[in-house]
Amino acid sequence: MEFLKSGFKTVLGATETGQQPSAAETVEKLVERVISSTLLDDRRDACRALKALSKKYRIEVGAQGMPALIQILKHDGQDSEVISYALDALCNITAAEEFDEEADNPAVSVNVGEQFTEMFIKVHDHVTLVMGYLEEYDFRVRRAAIKLITTLIANKTRDLQEIILVSPMGVSKLMDLLTDSREVIRNDALLLLIQLTKGNSNIQKIVAFENAFDKIFEIIQSEGCSEGGIVVEDCLILLLNLLKNNSSNQQFFKEGSFIQKLSPMFNITPETEEADWGPQKVSNIHCMLQVVRSLVTPSNQQQVISSCQKVMRKSKILDSLCSILMGSGVPPDILTETINTVAEIVRGDKENQDQFSKVMAPSYPPRPVIVVLLMSMINEKQMLELRCAVLYCFQCYLFRNEESHKAVVETLLPSSEAEGSSHSIGQLLCAGLFSTDSLANWFSAVSLMHGLVDSVPQKEELLRVLLATSGRSRPVTLLEQCTNLLQQDSYKQQSKVGLLMLLCMWLAHCPIAVKTFLSTNGTMAYLTAQISANEHDENEYLIQGLCAFLMGICIQFNDNSLPNQKRNDICQLIIKRIGQETFCNKLSEVSRHESYSRACKQPQIRTKSASDLLLDYEYCKLYKGLEALIAKLVSGFDVDGIELTELTLSSEASALVAQYKGIIRDLDGQINTLQQSSKKLETKNVELEHKLSQIQNLNTQLSDQNTLLKAQIGAVQKGTTTSGDEAAVNALNAAQFQTNLYYAENMRLTQELESLRKRLENEVQLSKTANDELQKLQKDQEDLLELLTDQETKIARYEEQLRTAGCLIENDDDSENNGDTKYNEVALNDNLVAAGLL
Amino acid sequence: MSYAYLFKYIIIGDTGVGKSCLLLQFTDKRFQPVHDLTIGVEFGARMITIDGKQIKLQIWDTAGQEAFRSITRSYYRGAAGALLVYDITRRETFNHLTTWLEDARQHSNSNMVIMLIGNKSDLDSRREVKKEEGEAFAREHGLVFMETSARTAANVEEAFINTAKEIYEKIQEGVFDINNEANGIKIGQQHSPTNPSLPGAGNQAGSASSGCC
Repeated sequence: MEFLKSGFKTVLGATETGQQPSAAETVEKLVERVISSTLLDDRRDACRALKALSKKYRIEVGAQGMPALIQILKHDGQDSEVISYALDALCNITAAEEFDEEADNPAVSVNVGEQFTEMFIKVHDHVTLVMGYLEEYDFRVRRAAIKLITTLIANKTRDLQEIILVSPMGVSKLMDLLTDSREVIRNDALLLLIQLTKGNSNIQKIVAFENAFDKIFEIIQSEGCSEGGIVVEDCLILLLNLLKNNSSNQQFFKEGSFIQKLSPMFNITPETEEADWGPQKVSNIHCMLQVVRSLVTPSNQQQVISSCQKVMRKSKILDSLCSILMGSGVPPDILTETINTVAEIVRGDKENQDQFSKVMAPSYPPRPVIVVLLMSMINEKQMLELRCAVLYCFQCYLFRNEESHKAVVETLLPSSEAEGSSHSIGQLLCAGLFSTDSLANWFSAVSLMHGLVDSVPQKEELLRVLLATSGRSRPVTLLEQCTNLLQQDSYKQQSKVGLLMLLCMWLAHCPIAVKTFLSTNGTMAYLTAQISANEHDENEYLIQGLCAFLMGICIQFNDNSLPNQKRNDICQLIIKRIGQETFCNKLSEVSRHESYSRACKQPQIRTKSASDLLLDYEYCKLYKGLEALIAKLVSGFDVDGIELTELTLSSEASALVAQYKGIIRDLDGQINTLQQSSKKLETKNVELEHKLSQIQNLNTQLSDQNTLLKAQIGAVQKGTTTSGDEAAVNALNAAQFQTNLYYAENMRLTQELESLRKRLENEVQLSKTANDELQKLQKDQEDLLELLTDQETKIARYEEQLRTAGCLIENDDDSENNGDTKYNEVALNDNLVAAGLL
Repeated sequence: MSYAYLFKYIIIGDTGVGKSCLLLQFTDKRFQPVHDLTIGVEFGARMITIDGKQIKLQIWDTAGQEAFRSITRSYYRGAAGALLVYDITRRETFNHLTTWLEDARQHSNSNMVIMLIGNKSDLDSRREVKKEEGEAFAREHGLVFMETSARTAANVEEAFINTAKEIYEKIQEGVFDINNEANGIKIGQQHSPTNPSLPGAGNQAGSASSGCC
């Protein structure tokens, strides 16, 4: 303090002794100095003083000094010291928390920091100005800027988020701070980002885009994972902010294989198992569990949930969590949250449910983990949160899994009793149902109810369950026992609510169960009495509503096979004994009860006190679906028994039926065409098979031949090889070369042969024509010869005639003639020779 | 699931040009005919193979509306590739390309690969922008160009894969600083040739095996 006082003296000058200036006056002087001083040193000193006063006199400094401080930020950027003072001062006056120094100052109201924040951010440029100082590397400036922005965001989250989104690269600049090598800056940046990402999915996405997941995991690993300090927790909180209700980021997280990076953090090795669970480790693990849950919580997109569930199985997260579940010395709140996490990883995923059901607890004798958990659920001494978590886990194990439903009901059936111990699921639930602890009753009834959701076969199977009773000879059925319990006064309200929900679920959509229920003695009388009762208690109203709903179910799903208990009979009972109006009024009591809206919110049971546990999520779903139908059905009946509306179906339902009929018709057509085409395909298939076998035969033949030929080649090679393989190969090559040569020669020769053959053919053709000509000529010759002989005979005759006529004819003539003919003959022969040569 | 490289993409362009449909067609191989306005950004991912290497594409589909423009700008810096989309049946979406390009060039790193895409090529009868005009624009601004149809899936694969090829080539040329994750590129475990942080033994084994190859 002395130092400060001396500081003021140097800044303000010596004051007159005995007359202390008021705080407002001091601040006024300081502000004036900041604004009007021409020397940087003066401005810096004044700023330092303002900063020092800003805690104790924050109203004075804030009201008068803000413009001055902003002016410093605007114009003195080159001096990091003065800037850091200004930022610090602003940070102090906008801080949300109350300082020790101002504790005795009555003028400070609770939200003074928020009001100054509002003043400061009125001009958006101020925020941008401060953001600019984030890029200043100087430690004091950067840290002060981070702190100021964090404070501003904490006070006015929405406004600041909008301003930062709009400022160019705003989010990216903030993300860059995470890579600062100075840990203090990095850690402060984490706190800033936690504030910034709250409830703004656009900012969350940009932060994720800027590699936030990578950076967060780097920091977590460098800080020692779950064993690390508060920085790890901060990282996990930021991670949680980025993932919660942000399907885009969830998908990015999954696609970036970050779930696999979560896995090793749940490996609680045997050495550390005995180690103490320090408070920081508990917080870290708790946050990690929250991160896992944020990916698979039922309110997420179904597609994201199921893909994340798969990855969690493959990356052994489910295994690790199950071993935490069975580990010793695990703090109860971690255990509870682990159960909830396992529940959501398992919910609706058959393989995960299956794997979970096979986990065995390390007890003697070894028991399935589900059984061990249920034992805690019906144990009065366990924490309420833990019991609720077990119920949630059991519900998730049953969710949309016909097989697990069956497994639960089977443990109750007589056949399994021989082998079953007293610690099967069914036995435990029955024990809970008949215990004196009303919470155990409720938990067991609801558990059993979840084993019946949407599965009519299990509802029918459950009717066969018999309970051995002490003393009495005849065993009673479970249904009978339930109705008995319902009518016992000692059975508490909460237990009755559970039981009634179980009965409603059991009877809904199951006419046989309705029939069995109606034929049990006293049920109708009990329900009628309850509905027409007029107790003034909220929970009593709820029970009456549940009874009305149960009676409604008995009408809706009645197959009219019991005389006197037909649909019409029950309706007449309502009309005469209760009144339609009253009935409908009572029916709507259920949805009017406060636990109805609580239960409808989410499948997980969240409650603070045990007495709040009344309605259940799945039950509310059933109620929502049937309430209107029942009300319509009941008010549709007339005193005379004439039904005014169509019996079973509401207009929506009949439209639905018509729609389904259409669909079925379409499907029938499709099936027909598909069958035809399948027949065609079958015949085609047979043909093709036939062909195939043929081809295969051919193939084997060919391969036979192939092997034969190979063998022959081998034989030939063997024959030729006399001196080692190489020689053989050489010889073979040579031989091949030769063969190639021969082959080429052969080719050439065949070509030649071909051309020769062609020429020969031409020749033959020519000779044929020549022959023809020759024959013609020979014929001509013959003709000529004939003519010649003719001529000769004629000449002889003429000679004769002439001789006889007495004319002397010289022999010369005769011989001359002869020579002529001879000449002719020679010429002819010459011709013939010429033709032959041609 | 391991990959050699991871590339970050963004898809930008006017509202209603089919950015989300392109992404849906690429990641899920289906088409959604109803225009469902994108709020802020949506994320999608797929694995592709280039040059025998597995490459993971992480794609941020941005909102085209003016109101979201400042949000969109935050995504430029960290992206390795951008698909700039216009609608060939709406001239104004083509006219706005210059604005988009300026915005992208101003806020992104200079090496970002931009692919220009004329979408809705199946609606040829309603075409208002000729293919040649798109080609000319792309040539002028040094972009790769392609016409696609998210409805028929024509060229959709190619658009994403060609962009990746371009980035891959730039990496091979050494243009991208792959160790700076702000560029939108990450090296997977499958392929880390210059990883200095390997422990001694692992490093030796690594160098030994690489020497053998």
